[in-house]
Amino acid sequence: MSTSAHPRPSSPLTPGFSALSSCVPEQKRDSRFRLSEEQKQNRWIPAFAGMATMMLFSTAWADSGIGVDTWRGNKLDPTAGQASEACDARGTTWLAPLQRRSPTGNLYDCPNEAPLAHEIGEWLYYGVLQVGYIGTGDQGVAAWNRYADWRSDKAILSLLDAHFERPSDGSYVDVRASRISDEDQYYQAVFGKAGAYKVQAFVRDMPNILSTDARSIWNGVGTNNLTLPSSLTPGGSTPAQVAAASAAAPTMTLGVKRSKQGLSASTYLTPEWTAYVNLSDEQRKGTRPYGGPFFFAFAFEGPPFNLNDGGVNETIKPINDSTININGGLRYAGPEWRFDFSYTGSFYRDKYTSYNYQSPFKLTALPVIPGAIAAPLYQGQMSTEPDNNYHNFQATATRKIPWNGEISISASGGRMSQDDALIAPINCQGVFGIGLGNLQLGPQNPMLYDCNKWNTTDALSRKTADMRIDTSMFDARIVLQPTPQWTLRGDVKYDRQDYRNIYLAYNPLTGQYGYPSENGTQGSIVPGESGIWDPRTDPSALTRVRSLPLDIQTIDANFGADWKFSDKNTLSATLDYNRYEPSNRERSQIDASSVKLTWVNRSLDWLTLRVNYTYLKQTGNTYNFDPYEFTWSSSMPGYVPPATGTPAHTVDAMRKYDMSSRDENKIDVMATVMPRDDMTVSASVRGDWNSYDARIGRQAYDTVGATVQWEWQFATRSSISAYAAWDRSRLGLSNVQDQANGTGADPTLGGSNYALNGQWWATDAQRDWYGGFTLNHDIGRVRLDVNWNYLYSRGLTDYTYAGPTALAHLVGNEGPGPGGGAFPNMIYRVNSITIGATVPFSERVSLRLFDYYERGRINDWHYLGFDQGLVVGNRVYTDAGPQSYKQNLIGLLVNMKL
Amino acid sequence: MRTRLSHSPLCWAAVLLLSGAGTSAFAADYVDLRRIEPIHGDAAAGAAKAAVCAACHGPNGNAIVPMFPSLAGQRADYLYHRLAEFKAADPKAPYYAASPMPAQAAGLSDADMRNVAAYFAAQARTAAPAAPGNAKGETLYLEGDLARGIPACQGCHGADANGPAAQGNQYAAYPTLRGQHAPYLVTRLNNFRGNLPQYSSNDFIMHGVARTLDDDSIQAVASWLASLPPKEKH
Repeated sequence: MSTSAHPRPSSPLTPGFSALSSCVPEQKRDSRFRLSEEQKQNRWIPAFAGMATMMLFSTAWADSGIGVDTWRGNKLDPTAGQASEACDARGTTWLAPLQRRSPTGNLYDCPNEAPLAHEIGEWLYYGVLQVGYIGTGDQGVAAWNRYADWRSDKAILSLLDAHFERPSDGSYVDVRASRISDEDQYYQAVFGKAGAYKVQAFVRDMPNILSTDARSIWNGVGTNNLTLPSSLTPGGSTPAQVAAASAAAPTMTLGVKRSKQGLSASTYLTPEWTAYVNLSDEQRKGTRPYGGPFFFAFAFEGPPFNLNDGGVNETIKPINDSTININGGLRYAGPEWRFDFSYTGSFYRDKYTSYNYQSPFKLTALPVIPGAIAAPLYQGQMSTEPDNNYHNFQATATRKIPWNGEISISASGGRMSQDDALIAPINCQGVFGIGLGNLQLGPQNPMLYDCNKWNTTDALSRKTADMRIDTSMFDARIVLQPTPQWTLRGDVKYDRQDYRNIYLAYNPLTGQYGYPSENGTQGSIVPGESGIWDPRTDPSALTRVRSLPLDIQTIDANFGADWKFSDKNTLSATLDYNRYEPSNRERSQIDASSVKLTWVNRSLDWLTLRVNYTYLKQTGNTYNFDPYEFTWSSSMPGYVPPATGTPAHTVDAMRKYDMSSRDENKIDVMATVMPRDDMTVSASVRGDWNSYDARIGRQAYDTVGATVQWEWQFATRSSISAYAAWDRSRLGLSNVQDQANGTGADPTLGGSNYALNGQWWATDAQRDWYGGFTLNHDIGRVRLDVNWNYLYSRGLTDYTYAGPTALAHLVGNEGPGPGGGAFPNMIYRVNSITIGATVPFSERVSLRLFDYYERGRINDWHYLGFDQGLVVGNRVYTDAGPQSYKQNLIGLLVNMKL
Repeated sequence: MRTRLSHSPLCWAAVLLLSGAGTSAFAADYVDLRRIEPIHGDAAAGAAKAAVCAACHGPNGNAIVPMFPSLAGQRADYLYHRLAEFKAADPKAPYYAASPMPAQAAGLSDADMRNVAAYFAAQARTAAPAAPGNAKGETLYLEGDLARGIPACQGCHGADANGPAAQGNQYAAYPTLRGQHAPYLVTRLNNFRGNLPQYSSNDFIMHGVARTLDDDSIQAVASWLASLPPKEKH
């Protein structure tokens, strides 16, 4: 049974799913068949035989429990009919009248009503066919249609689930299908023989709608070439013209269809040895909003420059890729030893290496140099995710040892590699950069670059990525139970990632280093910010020239003991030590030590109390605030620091949150109360307080929360539950604005570049409420189900600053001293309710009528003003953002037991 | 054509609820002994009604003929629900047709059955003739046989075979087996192995258990139980 009070998935066909769902797949294997009335006249199928047979089935099913392809459902019914099954009136066991409880005191779910089985010769079969009609009155809202195709009223195959089995030898065949539309459907077939083999195949399509209110100023959406319409001039349109083109564009839907096929097989080679293999291939096709940098020139919209150029474009990325996953191995399970030898591989391939787009706005060079002229760029490009491969081999050996113990040793080695073709640094024609009086290439224009020497892969230091990360892992665990009162645990794990190559951005055609930033536009607007370092003509340019390898070695050791000092009390203590040794990070060694204490008390028959407390302290060796120097041009021979010194990369007081020293206190108190045999009340409170040793960076991250859940199984086929949860988190951080726009050399906090009056603080406060209610009950012949879920999430970011120089942009009403403010609340509220009723017409046929209502209210200040248009100055937005909505889905389904 | 539906969920539910009023769709077809309340009866009143029982079950419920069970000292709840079973039984059903009990129970009221049960429960068992023990039966009863999936009988019937040690109403109708006649026990176990009877939830427990027993095991357990002397009443 689910006991956590997190947001529950709401779904129209899953009455009671929210509170009673976690064991659903297993309950499919309920052991007791029923026969139809006429068959009862002939023979009673031995219940115990059925139980034994299905226990064998469970064993076979468990063989393929690897990966994510073990269950298929859809948003209309994630449980594929399981959650809507009625409880078996006979209960779980003949030995007790009520459901059993878990060790922590929670009631287990009731078993499903046994299927009505038919006989065909030696075979038994049973199943369900659920067909009907749904009406949605769809309003075209992305959040409503995410992962589901409810965009039109339609007839649907809600579920076909047919199961055949031959008890004499444990053979079985299972077919399951559901079809909402071409984009929302799955089909699965499984066959096998208990204790011998199992084969499974499936195909599945699922939509992921990202936006239904997008407007594109580009043609060619879905391809790798986005071009502007004839009404706009690439690199020469005004914001008003672009805004008009956007407003005239029709709204469109952006989304990705995921199609997945899979095949898996497992077989017992001997009673101890099992071989298994799982293969899957998922294709994603569609579109999604993405970036499109053409320089953030809005920084110069105001005085003194009053420029209106560059472009921030929300382009539309084509999605057309495939991921093949392979997993296979051998397992041995004997009385003393267990072994597992496995291989896991993943192979990603993208049809597109990159895509191109045209930017509509003109470029104007900052008038800080007399005669500066911007190159007329209008073509941009964006790379897609590179093709990559992943291989991992793992071996695990486990052996029983004296003192009722077990020791397990695992070792693995893997490789992540990508050697995709690299794209040219730029795709412009002509020139890029700034000309002085003209755009003629030559020594007179040192800030002007020839596109032909950069828009080819000959401009790269190598043609393919040739990057690799090797991984290795060793893990040794031991568990001993020398007496019934004591359990001892120990684990030592070593993990390592080695980066095997590095890329130097060197252009052999020009002898220059670096990469044209922002499609060449930054260097076409701001003198000296081309992103290119030339040891001959521009030896003081500061730019990235090398990739950053992030090798890391981790050692984790922990030891713990559980002491059951009385029948009703257990104390546990765990000491944990972690050492991280990253390369090219601010610290080369980080040590994190923690102690966790747990007390479990069952002194009272009606109460289980669990208390956990953890204290963690993280420290490390000397903190180097700037370990990345070797990736910059300033590390290259021939680099000449500017007269004012090499600009500081960051402030010396910066402490990154994962590298920072930290103290953490965490406590959880959980109580499970059993006021009656058929009732459970669970409550918990928790808190987690983190204090970071950072003047600049993350300073605190605290969370507190509480949950309460009530469940009452007031009749064999009836239950009611409710839950409520609240949590609150607060993240505090600080940073400081440099005073010289990235040119100051002094990294000292409080120095000339990072003056204290440029410091600012921000607090991100998140507050969430969850609530829900579930009822399943028979009223006469009608089975009623009600499921209500509520979610309220509010995020508030406020800030204070020491002085106005802390602000990147001034709005004009800032005073000379400290100040502060807050962004508008980000609020996400979803209310959903399902009311359904199932009316049986016979033992085999029933009718289900349900109504699913969902209301979402979303306040997101990022999208404020988009109702007035999606083009703001030189910024082009495509997605108009999430929409509030009220949607109702009504369905009528005929449920036939086959 | 797209139809906009804005029906009230409550409206739909109300329609269905009204249409569905009536009896439960599928009633249970067995007596659930997991939820019973312990019975109370008047042993003295039961004595009068029990006179006729002695013909088969012997004086004071100490059967002479080993095919008939001894009732003396048996748990009252077991006796009551067994009588209720016979009273409810179809006398033409094969399992019951060979038994005189359906006819005997037919005329008993509910109060009669409670009283009769109370009467026999209050009677002392007389010692049966000494019988040899059976080591295999003792092992099966006390430990079961894990390899064959045979559960230990003592889990439900008590380590001393005098009824379950566990407290709880769901155990009230579990019988004492100590000193019961072996032929009767063999018959009962054989019937359970054939999924008979199917009257109560307790029968379904025994179906599963008996199916793990072969003829030798049934004989061994029955012999060992029959060899146990009656427990002295406190």
